[in-house]
Amino acid sequence: MIELLVSALVLASMYGLVAIGISLTWSSIGMLNLAQGFVFTAGGYGAYEFTQWMGKHQHVHTGNALMVGVVLVGMLTAALAGLLVGLLAFLPLHDRVNFPVRGLIATLAISVIGTQLFIILFGPQNKPLPQLFGVKRMHIGSHGIAYGQVGTIIVATLVMAIVTFWMRGSRRGLQMRAMMMNPMGANMVGVSVRTTGMVALAISGALSGLASVMLAQTFFVSPRSGVAPLTVGLIISLAGGLGSIPGTVAASVLLGLAEAATARYTKQSLVPFVQFGLVIAILAFRPRGLGGVLEDVRE
Amino acid sequence: MREVSAGYGTMRVLHSLNFTVEAGERLGLVGLNGHGKTTLISTIVGMTGWQDGSISFLGNEIGGRRTHGVGRNTPKIVRSGIAIAPQGDAIFPGLSVAENLESGAYTQGAWRQRKKRREAGLDIFPPLASRLKQSAGTLSGGERRMVSVGRALMADAKLYLVDEPSLGLAPKISTALVAALCEIDLGDGAMVIAEQNLPLLTGRCDRILGMHAGELKEDVGEALGDLPPSAELS
Repeated sequence: MIELLVSALVLASMYGLVAIGISLTWSSIGMLNLAQGFVFTAGGYGAYEFTQWMGKHQHVHTGNALMVGVVLVGMLTAALAGLLVGLLAFLPLHDRVNFPVRGLIATLAISVIGTQLFIILFGPQNKPLPQLFGVKRMHIGSHGIAYGQVGTIIVATLVMAIVTFWMRGSRRGLQMRAMMMNPMGANMVGVSVRTTGMVALAISGALSGLASVMLAQTFFVSPRSGVAPLTVGLIISLAGGLGSIPGTVAASVLLGLAEAATARYTKQSLVPFVQFGLVIAILAFRPRGLGGVLEDVRE
Repeated sequence: MREVSAGYGTMRVLHSLNFTVEAGERLGLVGLNGHGKTTLISTIVGMTGWQDGSISFLGNEIGGRRTHGVGRNTPKIVRSGIAIAPQGDAIFPGLSVAENLESGAYTQGAWRQRKKRREAGLDIFPPLASRLKQSAGTLSGGERRMVSVGRALMADAKLYLVDEPSLGLAPKISTALVAALCEIDLGDGAMVIAEQNLPLLTGRCDRILGMHAGELKEDVGEALGDLPPSAELS
């Protein structure tokens, strides 16, 4: 039972990080970022390259400093990838006609090209990342839980809490929430859509990068490792209510539980059915999602 | 403002306007619906479809010829010291009244003094004091307008643009709102109030200009046409 709960929470942390990023950009600049998977994968490769470089040139293979470095470099690379997406798809298009559709297509293009680029640069093989929290297991009663799982949950919770407080307390956070509610009004109080949009993209990139490094604790980094998190992140951000961090977290926990339970008691292959079924059920009863902060979701 | 024209698409709304607002002045802008008051205010902050001509603010050029990028320069212009309370209101419905007000304190200086500025704003609009925590989307029309105007006043601006403060409000409320606006100590800042209802501004503004078919008229009566101004009050 505890194992089920832990693996559900691990999934929830990863999905939550990606979904919050998608939700932030979608609600604040009105762009559905299909390149979030590309950003996610970029973070993983950034962390991988950093580990390789440290091993080859600095002869560092273990240690806490390396682990912190891996996480930070992963987040930084993904944040830069997020800015690149902004540079290509957001800045040139955002005040043109039909931006939502054009942005969608532009980010889809970046996603496709990005995947091919990763295959060319790194090859199709899986790349491993170091075990950040060691390979030990802790024991609660008769149950063994990997340090990696506990670490993932703690770090993700911490980072999500920081983002939540930042959104509530800081000037930039207030600007971003103002932009979600009324982009025109935000413009008129001096909030620059362009700057704030790039900040939103960088932050959601960093969150995805963190999730990417965490995912690589159990899986590997591969050119397509961003596809599944993107899909699940998208439906979670909808189910959680665009722009609502608490709603997104709640939806991630729900979907994480559903996935863990389905995989354990039935077949892994049934997971997508259960996930999408759950999201449809949530949206049927709460069309604005669990959080539902936006009075009228941007068209 | 010199030789300023502006419009949307192929439509030209403003025709070569020339006027100056002095520091410390309260200027009333009166005209009927659809004669360009809102467009004039939007032009100053760069939110019309296109514009031409020179707008100088504190010695800096903020106008110029522009055919695209609607609103792209607006944040920059606003941050250079112009606060705007747009027509209707452009408040943030999901944020609390306090957050709505604070969002107006954009510049570094104003943000640091936001608590003090908010207190000053609440003195002008006392009904908001008890509703600070309430979501702005649940307010009445008059209260929303107060939030909108109050948000503009939070900014550390040298020019305040208020567009139709009375629109859609009960006469009693709009009179109180405009009276409150006209009593604020602007210091060396200036204020432009666009309004359909001439008697609301008469005697309260330093100067009143009329607006008719996209042109400014010194004679307000001409701008309002044959319609006796008092007819609107009754």
